[in-house]
Amino acid sequence: MRIVREPLLQFLCIALILFTVNRLVNGPEKYSASQQITISSGQVEQISEQYRLLAGRAPGEQELRALVDDFIDEEIAYREAIALGLDTDDTIVRRRMRQKLEFLVRDQQSYNDPSDEELSIWLAAHATNYHQTERISFRHVLASHDKRGEHAQKDAHSFRQALEAGAEFEALGDTSMLPPSLSLSTQDNIASLFGDAFAKAVFAAQNNEWSAPIQSAYGYHLILITERIPSRPSTLNEIRETLKADWMAAKKQEARNKYLENLRQRYTVNVEWPAKHSSEQ
Amino acid sequence: MAIWMKVLLMSACTTALIACGNKTSKQTVKTATEQAKQETPHEKIAQNPLRNAYFGDLHIHTQNSYDAYLFSVRSTPDEAYEFAKGGKIKHPMGYDMQLHSGPLDFLAVADHAEYLGVLEAMNTPGTEYSKVSYAKDMNPGDRAGIFKAFGYFVESLLTGEIIPELSSTAAPRSAWQETIESAERHNNPGTFTTFIAYEFTSLPRVRNLHRNVIFANGNVPDLPYSALDSQNPEDLWHWLDAQRAKGNDALAIPHNANGSDGTMFERTMWNGKPIDQAYAKLRSRNEPLIEISQIKGQSETMPLLSPNDEFAGFELMTSYIGAAKQITKFEGGYARDALKRGIEIEQKTGTNPYNFGFISSSDGHTSAGPFEEDNYFAKVGILDGTPKRRGSVYPAKYKNWDEYYEDRENPPLSSTWGSAGLSGVWAESNTRQSLFAAMRRKETFGTTGPRIRVRMFGGYDLPEISLATDAGVSSAYANGVAMGGSLIRQAGKTPEFVVIASRDVKSAPLQRIQIIKGWVDAKGQSHEKIYDIACSDNGVIQSDSNRCEDNGASVNLNTCEFSKDKGDAELEARWKDPAFDHTQNAFYYVRVLENPSCRWSTWDAIRANVEPNPKLAKTIQERAYTSPIWLLANRDK
Repeated sequence: MRIVREPLLQFLCIALILFTVNRLVNGPEKYSASQQITISSGQVEQISEQYRLLAGRAPGEQELRALVDDFIDEEIAYREAIALGLDTDDTIVRRRMRQKLEFLVRDQQSYNDPSDEELSIWLAAHATNYHQTERISFRHVLASHDKRGEHAQKDAHSFRQALEAGAEFEALGDTSMLPPSLSLSTQDNIASLFGDAFAKAVFAAQNNEWSAPIQSAYGYHLILITERIPSRPSTLNEIRETLKADWMAAKKQEARNKYLENLRQRYTVNVEWPAKHSSEQ
Repeated sequence: MAIWMKVLLMSACTTALIACGNKTSKQTVKTATEQAKQETPHEKIAQNPLRNAYFGDLHIHTQNSYDAYLFSVRSTPDEAYEFAKGGKIKHPMGYDMQLHSGPLDFLAVADHAEYLGVLEAMNTPGTEYSKVSYAKDMNPGDRAGIFKAFGYFVESLLTGEIIPELSSTAAPRSAWQETIESAERHNNPGTFTTFIAYEFTSLPRVRNLHRNVIFANGNVPDLPYSALDSQNPEDLWHWLDAQRAKGNDALAIPHNANGSDGTMFERTMWNGKPIDQAYAKLRSRNEPLIEISQIKGQSETMPLLSPNDEFAGFELMTSYIGAAKQITKFEGGYARDALKRGIEIEQKTGTNPYNFGFISSSDGHTSAGPFEEDNYFAKVGILDGTPKRRGSVYPAKYKNWDEYYEDRENPPLSSTWGSAGLSGVWAESNTRQSLFAAMRRKETFGTTGPRIRVRMFGGYDLPEISLATDAGVSSAYANGVAMGGSLIRQAGKTPEFVVIASRDVKSAPLQRIQIIKGWVDAKGQSHEKIYDIACSDNGVIQSDSNRCEDNGASVNLNTCEFSKDKGDAELEARWKDPAFDHTQNAFYYVRVLENPSCRWSTWDAIRANVEPNPKLAKTIQERAYTSPIWLLANRDK
């Protein structure tokens, strides 16, 4: 992709855009005034190729003649329609010309793979987007509300006393479909199983000691955090591919916005808003 | 942390899990693998032999679907995957959509194969498609324009005849390629699974025979087989057989049997003759699952088919798909009835065409599924993207619902649709291979949106076990069959079932577990009966009705708050059929019901500070359905 950095190519691309814009803005009178139509051999080849792409085979000689003939009819009709000004008040035509222009810009922009240096700068500037979230491993002992009703909280307290007195945690509490322990989970992982408030409380708990009872939709839990990996920035090596994709997408978007902005600067825009702007039903 | 350290840590975790087995293996695997997802090669992903419940959606549409495009949807498969992974994407009406309950575990983008990607191409200057005279109508932006644009396609979709000027395969090829590449890009074994998929949109005489085709892995054909190739599902199954022979394994999942006017599960084949063995085998080989609920209602059963089921009147769609025309034939359009037909046909021919399991999905057309009642954005883009457009809030020109209904008889179609369903899959790991194998063996369940987890096992002489422990689950696998399996009938022996269900902490608590039994009598006639087998709040099952006593759960319709002190977080039961007859073919499946909670339309109304629409249910009981377990004659011996 080194070639796109060539000044000559860049110049040609810009020239192509200016040429197109000029044609769109200043009108094609000159073009349509001429009664001369020449279909170059390049155009014939293009017509033939389009057919091949669509039909899966090259057109026969008769077919090609018919296709070229159709193209000539289209060209004549197009010039006549332009001469009559049919393009100026047609929403569809206007919308498509805009699309075409935008495609032109989009396709024209293309980039080399970013260097590690460029990616490092990008990562530093957007570090918060690429944080590795905090993860914890924990065990829990459940005093089930289903099974113990209003005694659940009190029972959880007595489990805690038992644990402090050296009881084995496996022997305590109620079984459930919940996993008795989770390893290296994010707050979101835990919230989807145990609920938001519980997940928040677990992350706020101290490491390596059984917590006071924490409530969830299941009852009261004592939890023991066995491992905690704090939130930290990602390194370039960990997320190079993601960064690359994001960098490219951002560059394309940036170029497009800049181009459209530059275009707008050439116009004085004046909107005469109606007195009251009606909103949706 | 260095890669080798992570790998070491991973294997240490894995070893620990296996070693501790009993107390630590459940669920932990899923989160452990997330940590090491980028560094761990596929084969290193930890497997939980006791299986985890994974939740996902096998039915989402993007702008590549012709209809979604007309609904102003301009989001791509990439965006559908972003949404499923917990990201924020735009609704066509400009607002953000994001899951409140966190990311899904898997997603299949299943766009309509018919005219796949064609509308985008019609709207792209320079394409052959854009030269079609009505191409300019393909970007309608309002209701009238949408219906006008649909007009160009209706005839083709109802007859299966392709529109000649849109018959080029250029756009479908390119959109199919995009579908494949996007799925491959977002597939992240161990963390998030994607399936390459499409919808076969057969709609003969407006009777819905739609299927989603889900591919097992990255081996897929160059183009989908669509209803424009044939509307006859039997042709699709033959094509699937041929693909499988080439190494492109897939299965088809019918949806909206409720909109088929009795044609989804017929007693006859396409040619009108009674179902024979070859048909039954062909069908059950290719369609092990059906979608039991989605936005356009549930297809479990309805009150006219199951008059003794007081929970059957739930999210019913009794009209043809996308039309006001009413269904007249319900037999053959619902799963429970089809399961009964299946065992009747089995009794006659020895093979069951309808021995399917259940999943649920969304059928969302905005690249996003509205699974949550309080986070609802409906189905069809700009047609129902706001409460006023979906009939949950009356337009400003009316003062109340009475005035609104003076102008019209029926509520708008979208208002009768429910929120999206979710598929639950019991699998060893969150990978294509593991999830697809679970779908094949039907160890799956469907929910109406909440992430209710439910397991069911059946067997003879099951030891006294609790499915709340790993030892219990392990013993259940060793001594019985899981949901989706079959038991052989034996003289003098009565099977037992063990069931456990756990609530979604972000939805309502559980109210009850039910077992639904279907069986065939000596005359070949089938019957159904419902047994409550576990009640919340220490409720007692009434012996005359087989129902739990009312737990008194209620909902405050001004705030949508539900009773805090009613319902259970978890229910478990062991059950023996009191009327078991070892000479009868039978099936048993589980239905779990939540306490009542607000329907999406009530949430809409409360937020707009108006009365909820009187023609719609104000509350619903969300639910989960497991695949059945069958009791069959031993025909091999």
